[in-house]
Amino acid sequence: MSRIIVVTSGKGGVGKTTVTANLGMTIARLGHQVALVDADFGLRNLDLLLGLENRVVYTAAEVIIGECRLEQALVKDKRQPGLMLLPATQNRRAEAINPQQMKQLIGELSKMCDYVLIDSPAGIEMGFKNAIAGATEALIVTTPEIAAVRDADRVVGLLEAQSVKRIHLIVNRLRPKMVRENDMMSVEDVQEILAVPLIGVIPEDENVIVSTNRGEPLALADNLSLAGVAFQNVGRRLQGESVEFLDLDNNNENFFSRIGKVLRTKIF
Amino acid sequence: MTSDSVLPNVVPTPTVSPSLREENIKFQVRLKTEDGGLQLILPAEAESSIDHTWTELWEQLKHRLNGGDRFWQPQTKVRLMAQDRLLDGRQLKAIADALKEAELQIERIYTTRRQTAVAAATAGYSVEQQLRFSSVVSGKPSQLKEPVAEPLYLELTVRSGVEIRHPGTVAIVGDVNPGGSIIAVGDILVWGRLRGIAHAGCQGNSQCRIMALQMEPTQLRIASSVARAPDKPPKQFYPEVAYISPEGILRIARAADFVRTPIETMEDKR
Ligand SMILES: Nc1ncnc2c1ncn2[C@@H]1O[C@H](COP(=O)(O)OP(=O)(O)OP(=O)(O)O)[C@@H](O)[C@H]1O
Ligand SMILES: [Mg+2]
Repeated sequence: MSRIIVVTSGKGGVGKTTVTANLGMTIARLGHQVALVDADFGLRNLDLLLGLENRVVYTAAEVIIGECRLEQALVKDKRQPGLMLLPATQNRRAEAINPQQMKQLIGELSKMCDYVLIDSPAGIEMGFKNAIAGATEALIVTTPEIAAVRDADRVVGLLEAQSVKRIHLIVNRLRPKMVRENDMMSVEDVQEILAVPLIGVIPEDENVIVSTNRGEPLALADNLSLAGVAFQNVGRRLQGESVEFLDLDNNNENFFSRIGKVLRTKIF
Repeated sequence: MTSDSVLPNVVPTPTVSPSLREENIKFQVRLKTEDGGLQLILPAEAESSIDHTWTELWEQLKHRLNGGDRFWQPQTKVRLMAQDRLLDGRQLKAIADALKEAELQIERIYTTRRQTAVAAATAGYSVEQQLRFSSVVSGKPSQLKEPVAEPLYLELTVRSGVEIRHPGTVAIVGDVNPGGSIIAVGDILVWGRLRGIAHAGCQGNSQCRIMALQMEPTQLRIASSVARAPDKPPKQFYPEVAYISPEGILRIARAADFVRTPIETMEDKR
């Protein structure tokens, strides 16, 4: 059975698309077939982050209307076999799409792969409902800020009402130094409110912005940056491995030496 | 909050707008036990000034079912009291599916609307079409003195954006998060952290109390008094009780102290 996971947040700009792109890349690298669905209709940018923009011909809407087959709309990633994208619709056709149609589309897509990751739009309106329609699991992305956590909480409630039972939390853009100085909520603070199991903590990392601009997800690099490793860990936890959480509290310099240690102890 | 402290920004009883006192409480989905089965009561359309969308109704139903599934045996029969609500076949199926997920079965549907009765019959349910309530016409439902409903016991986290309304006492086993609220005609008990809004005695009973293991509310209301939490949270939390003192001030006391020094007026509650 393939897993259908929606990446959602409530508040905008907290990193849903970044998480979807990097996680998709990671899971594909781990040897699975992954389909990414851009359900942020009207504002598509998952294709941009993945560097696949110029290869988009058809989108979800054309499949739903019946103008093309699902296979035709899927964009395969040449750098990472196993990864494909179902792009979002940018024109007015997006307004006509309803949750029932989305659910059917996602169901069909799930037959072709091991994982379906759905990038959802901000908010809790129609676009959100479309994005969660076919999902059986959810990743809640939040930054350690009160407003973002509040919205995440609202979304968790809605997901629970929609019977999406497996929900995991990703805290993005954590700045350990600010947490130490009591200027930022800690991961524990966030968890205490949301009461959802934690699956990843992604530090604030300039490389994320650089990679976004290049259209090369961090997780594609050979030498993973700190955030890249964090994404990889989320992917591994998602497939059931137990992976220690990164100790973000120390400096980056000795970070790689410690990673080496962790890997070794895990392997033997 | 320190023991027995008056909260800052306490608003004395008479100054609060009357709207606080006239909380119309009867417009949420309710589950009620009745001999051997359950009643699922949908809010009547004519009774609530607020127009409930189907989505809201459905979310309320799901929350109720998720929060209290230990109270019934599997395959308990449910009577769906649809009142004057228009439900189509798809919506009836959604309700039936939600009930099925909680291991409940629709036994019969009661409705005052012909269309709903037809839709239900078409979908294969037994239906009983009832006469319209006469009280609906009078237009002022809050004036009908209804007995207080049985307590509502929910095991869940009341999350941001969720509002629990109940015409009786509410007990929550779980947290009430910031942005969540509980509005009860009776008392409110939170076996967990109370961080959202709690309004006890919302139809004017100032004898009602709010109890929580950890009181850090955004706002507390009892009858028509309002109190806001102090800006700085205390270092340590104790179970606390909020009540209206004989002088009419909303106070908070440590639960242990509150039980030891009974307040005279507590006797003639309700
Ligand atoms: N861990 C991080 N470190 C630094 N920058 C980040 C990190 N995560 C995300 N960002 C940046 O934050 C911005 C918003 O990210 P992203 O587009 O993924 O958010 P979103 O939740 O998808 O937004 P929207 O709600 O608009 O769809 C981007 O510019 C991205 O580069
Ligand atoms: Mg996005």
